[in-house]
Amino acid sequence: MRAFWCALSAASMAPPARYCIPGERLCSTEEATAGSGTYTRHGFIFSSLAGCLERKNEDNELPVVSVVRDSESQLLPNVGAVVTCKVCSINSRFAKVHILYVGSTPLKSTFRGTIRREDIRATEKDKVEVYKSFRPSDIVLAKVISLGDAQSNYLLSTAENELGVVVARSEAGVQMVPISWCEMQCPRTHTKEFRKVARVQPQFLQT
Amino acid sequence: MPLDHRRLRGPEESQPPALWAATAAEDEEDEEGAGAAPRDPCALRPLFARAGLLSQAQGSAYVELGSGTKVLCAAWGPREAAEPGPGRLLCEFRRAPFAGRGARGRPGAAAEREAEREAAAALREALEPAVRLGRYPRARLAVSALLLQDGGSALAAAVSAAALALADAGVEMYDLAVGCALCRPPAPAASWMLQPAEPEERRAAARLTLALLPALNQVSAVLGGGRGGPPEDWAQALRLGLDGCHRQYPVLRQSLLRAAQRRDAAAAA
Repeated sequence: MRAFWCALSAASMAPPARYCIPGERLCSTEEATAGSGTYTRHGFIFSSLAGCLERKNEDNELPVVSVVRDSESQLLPNVGAVVTCKVCSINSRFAKVHILYVGSTPLKSTFRGTIRREDIRATEKDKVEVYKSFRPSDIVLAKVISLGDAQSNYLLSTAENELGVVVARSEAGVQMVPISWCEMQCPRTHTKEFRKVARVQPQFLQT
Repeated sequence: MPLDHRRLRGPEESQPPALWAATAAEDEEDEEGAGAAPRDPCALRPLFARAGLLSQAQGSAYVELGSGTKVLCAAWGPREAAEPGPGRLLCEFRRAPFAGRGARGRPGAAAEREAEREAAAALREALEPAVRLGRYPRARLAVSALLLQDGGSALAAAVSAAALALADAGVEMYDLAVGCALCRPPAPAASWMLQPAEPEERRAAARLTLALLPALNQVSAVLGGGRGGPPEDWAQALRLGLDGCHRQYPVLRQSLLRAAQRRDAAAAA
């Protein structure tokens, strides 16, 4: 074991990483604040994951202690998180989607979600037609509004300007270009189709 | 008949395997009878634990006790569940067909399945306090334990292996669960023994399996029964079992740390 540590520290410039297991006591709450992968009990911070200990020094406040597993972190869609999903079927009352990404991390197993008709737009909710907002196999940015009750799945909403359809294919099978907040045009056949389009964030626009 | 070249031909003469099995069992009976007295009741069997060996599951662990108990456990991270509320832990315990010595009474009998279901419920009871289910709403975590060879203390080894597998899968936990088994032989003034081997367990008058969360010092499950003598004896047995769990904890901790280092080294390479 000691030989392994010597080899490790000789190979890398940084000090050898400290690994910890669930239930290991890291420090007291007076020395640091608990970050992700930890929990506090009786005034001490304990680790909650089997991974690498990370200590981030903040300028004004206490350092943040967190435990990180380099590979996948098991994320679940939380209320208020922006998720990327793919529409699998639509109805006159709602659209069923598969949640693929939470933020920018992909999910290993897909979760199912529902976008109700009244959650598609913020204004004129009763004049919305689901068929003119989404179509199957569209990629949509949405926000989680509820974890759902017994029968339903995650409830999502696209009632903001930055939420809505991001990528859609026209009936000719070509990826469409957004024209306005409610229309997209196919570059090959020049037909316009109705979608509830997400506004492109200013940092992604090429000018 | 023409020769069949696709098959391996066995020997021309064959003898019944019972000839050889009988002599081996007799030898063991003699050894047990002679060596039954000087077994130290507080001695722990050598423990081997390794986490992170299966590629098919998100987390896995293998635990082997010196008496011959071998348990392989696999765990899968959060998947979508239909029920609302905090996450659920689904445990499964299976005995391999070759796990026990001698012939199985009736393969696939209801009694076997009932025993497996009871063991799975005990596993769930032992692991649930250790896992942070509140962090996984509307999700289910699956744990599956396979007993490859039964040499006594099988459920205790399965608890340790399942806790290691869950931690290896990256599930957030409060602590590792460590399992320990005890038994009390039928002699009138006999004392409790830690980690019985299979013959001792078969002949025992009372058995006990404990699951402990060592860092938080909380007991998560106590399972057992039998005719054990006065109640103070059971309290003393509990203390002995807790001590056994604390002594096993460093080995499990080391195996988990090594698995984390191996995973990081593989990811960096």
